[in-house]
Amino acid sequence: MIEFRDVHASYDADIKVLDGVSFQIQDGEFVAFVGTNGAGKSTTMRLMNGLLKPDAGVVLIDGVPTTQLKTSQIARQVGFLFQNPDSQICSNTVREELLFGFKALGEVGPDAEARVDGVIKEFGFDPDDDPFLLNRGTRQLLALASIVVLAPPVVILDEPTTGLDYKECVKVMDIIRRLHEAGTTIVMVCHDMEVVGDFAKRVVVMSQGGVVDDGPTFDVLRNPQTLTRASLIPPQIVDISLALPLVDERLATSPLAFANTTDEMQAAIAQEVC
Amino acid sequence: MNGFLEYVPGDSLLHRLNPVTKIVFAVLFAITCFCTSNIFFLCGMLICGIIMAASCQMLRPVLGLMKAVLAFSVILAVLLLLTSPSGDVLVELPWGYIGTGSIMAAVTTIVRLEAAAIPLFLTFYVTKMTDLSNSVVKVLHVPYKYAFTFASTVHFIPVFMNDMKSIMEAQTARGVEFDQGGIVNKIRLMVPLCVPLLVSSVRKTNSAAIAAEVRGFNLRTRESGYKQYPFSAVDLVVMLIAVALLVAVILVP
Ligand SMILES: Nc1ncnc2c1ncn2[C@@H]1O[C@H](COP(=O)(O)OP(=O)(O)O)[C@@H](O)[C@H]1O
Ligand SMILES: [Mg+2]
Repeated sequence: MIEFRDVHASYDADIKVLDGVSFQIQDGEFVAFVGTNGAGKSTTMRLMNGLLKPDAGVVLIDGVPTTQLKTSQIARQVGFLFQNPDSQICSNTVREELLFGFKALGEVGPDAEARVDGVIKEFGFDPDDDPFLLNRGTRQLLALASIVVLAPPVVILDEPTTGLDYKECVKVMDIIRRLHEAGTTIVMVCHDMEVVGDFAKRVVVMSQGGVVDDGPTFDVLRNPQTLTRASLIPPQIVDISLALPLVDERLATSPLAFANTTDEMQAAIAQEVC
Repeated sequence: MNGFLEYVPGDSLLHRLNPVTKIVFAVLFAITCFCTSNIFFLCGMLICGIIMAASCQMLRPVLGLMKAVLAFSVILAVLLLLTSPSGDVLVELPWGYIGTGSIMAAVTTIVRLEAAAIPLFLTFYVTKMTDLSNSVVKVLHVPYKYAFTFASTVHFIPVFMNDMKSIMEAQTARGVEFDQGGIVNKIRLMVPLCVPLLVSSVRKTNSAAIAAEVRGFNLRTRESGYKQYPFSAVDLVVMLIAVALLVAVILVP
C-alpha cells in the first residue's frame, strides 16, 4: 500500500510544487493521475519511489516512510517507467537491457535468465537488437519490458503512451492491463482520457500542486466542476452522454445519459430504439 | 531557480554596459590576475570581483560557482605544495620539501583563480547570450559561426547536466546504488551511463544543427543583426580601468 499524508514537496526551497497532498493506494488498484502540465503529477510519482523526499508530511510504502529507505531499495517494490525511455536505456543489446535490473539488484542467475527469455518472447523482441537503433515506440516497449521482467508489486508509469502511435499505444496498454490482471498495482500518469476511461478504475485529478478530485473513474470524469477546474475533456462517449440532457430534457432519465463506454452506449441506443 | 551561467534580468550598471566592454574587461581582469603574484594585489582583485557581483545582486550564484572553482584550485594548490620547494623548510619530503614559499604559492594560486573567474562568470549572468554573441559579431567582427558555436556550447552545458541527472535517477530507480557508497562507487557506476548520455547528446546536437540549417544559418552575416551596440562614455571608462590595472601590474613588479 502507498500512502501520502499531507505531503509538501519542492525542488527549490522557494517554489512549492506539492502543497498538502493526501491519498492512499491499496494493493492491486489501477489509478490514473490526470491534470495539466506542471500540475505536479511527475513530482508525485517521484515521491512514490523515493527519488524525491517530502519537505513535510510522509510518504509510506507498506507502512515505511520513504525517508527511511534508499531509492535503490524501493526499486524492488516499485518499478518506474520514465516519461523519456532514453534516460533509462543503457545497454548494447535488448537482452542485456532486460538483464540490467537483475544485475543492479544482484540477482543474476538461471531464474533471471529464464524470466528475460520469457519476456523477450512475450514482447516479440529480437534479443540482439541495439536498443538505440529501435524506433520510439519499441524503445518505450523495451523500457516497459525492463520493468515488467523484474515483476515488482507496484508499477508507476509516467505518460506511458505519449508520443506513441495508436498501434503502439494499444500494445503498451495491453501489457499494462495484463500486469494489472496478474495483481500488480498500477499507478499511471496519462493525458489521454480515452485511455484513462478504458483502463483506470480510479482517477486522481491534480491541479497546481494539489488533489482536486479523487474517486472511481467515471464519477470523476462526469463531474463538471472537476472537468473545468482541471481543464479536462472527458472521453467522447461521456462527453456525448453528458450533453444529451441539454439537447432534450426528456433524455435526462434515459440510459443514454448515463453511458460511459461504447458498449454501454450501444446497449442504451438499442434499448431506446426498440 | 536560475540555470547554470544563465542570464538574470536586471538594470544595474553592469547590466547596462556594452557586452563587448564586459568581455574585454573580464578578459583583461583575468590576464591581470595571471600577471602578478602579489598576494595583496590579488586579494584586492578578489574583493573588487565580489563587490561587482554584489552591485548587481549576483552574489549568491557567484559564490556558488566560486565554491566549484575552489575545489578545482585546491587540487592545483596541493600539487604546487608538493612539487615547488622554496622558502624555509617546513616538512621534508622524499623528493624535496614543503617550504613557506610553497605555501605562499599555493595560496596565491587559489586566490588568483578565484579572482580571475568572477568577472567571467558575472559576464554571463548580466548579459543575454544573444547580446553576447551578436555584439562580438557586430563589433569585434568575429564570424557568426564561431560566436554561435560558443553560445550553443554554453547553452548545452545545463541541458547535459540535466540529462545526466535524469539518467542517474532512472538508474537509481532500477536499483543501481547511486545513493550509497563513496565517490569511487559513484564513478564506477557512472561509466556505463556515458552511452545513453552520448546518444542523447548526439541526437540533440544533430537536431539543433538541422534546425539551424533550415532557418538559413549559412546566410547569416555581420549585417544580419538589427540591434546596434554603441559604446558610451561609461564603457570607455570601464575599459580604461581594465587597461590601467594591467599596465600597473606589468610596470610595478
Ligand atoms: N527538476 C526540477 N527542478 C525544478 N522544478 C521542477 C523540476 N521538475 C519539475 N519542476 C516544476 O515542478 C512543477 C510540477 O512539475 P511536474 O511534477 O513535472 O508536473 P506534471 O508532471 O504534472 O506536468 C512544475 O512547475 C515544474 O516547473
Ligand atoms: Mg510530467
